[in-house]
Amino acid sequence: MTFLVTFATEGFGLNLDLFETNVLNLAVVIFGLYKFLPSFLGGMLERRRASILVDLKDAEDRLDQATKSLAHAKNELAAAEQKAAKIRTDCKARAEAIRLDSEKRTVEEMARIKQGAASDLNAEASRVSTQLRQEAARLAIEKALTSLPKRLDEKSQANFLTQSIENMEKT
Amino acid sequence: MGLLPFVFPFAELEVGKHLYWQIGDLRIHGQVFMTSWIVIGALLALVVVGTKKMERDPRGVQNLLEFLWDYIRDLARTQIGEKVYRDWMPFIGTLFLFIFVSNWGGALVPWRLIRLPSGELGAPTADINTTVALALLVSLSYFYAGLSNKGLRYFEYYVHPTPIMLPFKIVEDFTKPLSLSFRLFGNILADELVVAVLVFLVPLVLPVPVMFLGLFTSAIQALIFATLAAYYIGEAVEEHH
Repeated sequence: MTFLVTFATEGFGLNLDLFETNVLNLAVVIFGLYKFLPSFLGGMLERRRASILVDLKDAEDRLDQATKSLAHAKNELAAAEQKAAKIRTDCKARAEAIRLDSEKRTVEEMARIKQGAASDLNAEASRVSTQLRQEAARLAIEKALTSLPKRLDEKSQANFLTQSIENMEKT
Repeated sequence: MGLLPFVFPFAELEVGKHLYWQIGDLRIHGQVFMTSWIVIGALLALVVVGTKKMERDPRGVQNLLEFLWDYIRDLARTQIGEKVYRDWMPFIGTLFLFIFVSNWGGALVPWRLIRLPSGELGAPTADINTTVALALLVSLSYFYAGLSNKGLRYFEYYVHPTPIMLPFKIVEDFTKPLSLSFRLFGNILADELVVAVLVFLVPLVLPVPVMFLGLFTSAIQALIFATLAAYYIGEAVEEHH
């Protein structure tokens, strides 16, 4: 496909006829627009620009304010963190103290309980041995009482008496 | 203008004459291309100049461009909706600015100072080809917007309240670009013709109020085209529940 471009170059030119070209009326119209359009459109654009500038200033002010409050908040955060750290160390110290104290108390208590138990045991043992001794004495007396009448006659009593007197004489 | 009984010595009207360029098998309207390029160049220059040194304090061209951006964003947002208007803002803005600058350029620049071999320079939007191209772009855009946002569920829109709407909705797809293109083309061409005829009849003073009116309607037409384009896109991406 060939693109054959032919321009009708002949006949181009200027037409300077004032009436045919309508230049006078156009001049009036353009002058009118030049006179009134800037005040209309220009006013609109100027209002737009002013409102944009106000908005920008507002935004900048808000940015300033926000930056300030951010700095303030950061300071507060730092202070709060310090406080938190202090509280934490205090708490640790206190917890350590409480732990030590309770340990000590427990040890003491345990010692006390052990001692108590030992003394209980001693008391019980002495009580039991006393009881056993009494029981043995009681049984011996009973046995003696049962066997004594059979073995005790005139002769043996006399023997016993002489023996006892002899003993007394010796001493 | 053989229809008029008198021959005025002041001005001459040319309707339906074009400066044809032959490209391959196509015969294109050269004067439309020339003015379109000038319009596009002017817009690009404005945008480049306005965004070259952007500051926080918007001054001059930057302020103007930001103002236009705000305006177009509001337009797109109200018509298309919060969800997808960002995707379509460049398109809507381009349509609005191109049509607006075309219309005003056609009405304010003394194009007739430049004599062409045939036809005359004027607003690109006073040529049906330009407006049809723009309107077809809008059609493509809203189909694309609907299909890319909702997939095949886009076609639910055709039977949306009731299936009875189907034929109307299908016809709408054809009438939308038709009405868009003819509205713009008709208004701008009519403005140019009214001014031309008045200049032809009464060369001075009388055309001035009509030219101001033309400027007003030109601006309105640009707004209408952009608004309707945005509305069609918004309609295509709208979720029906």
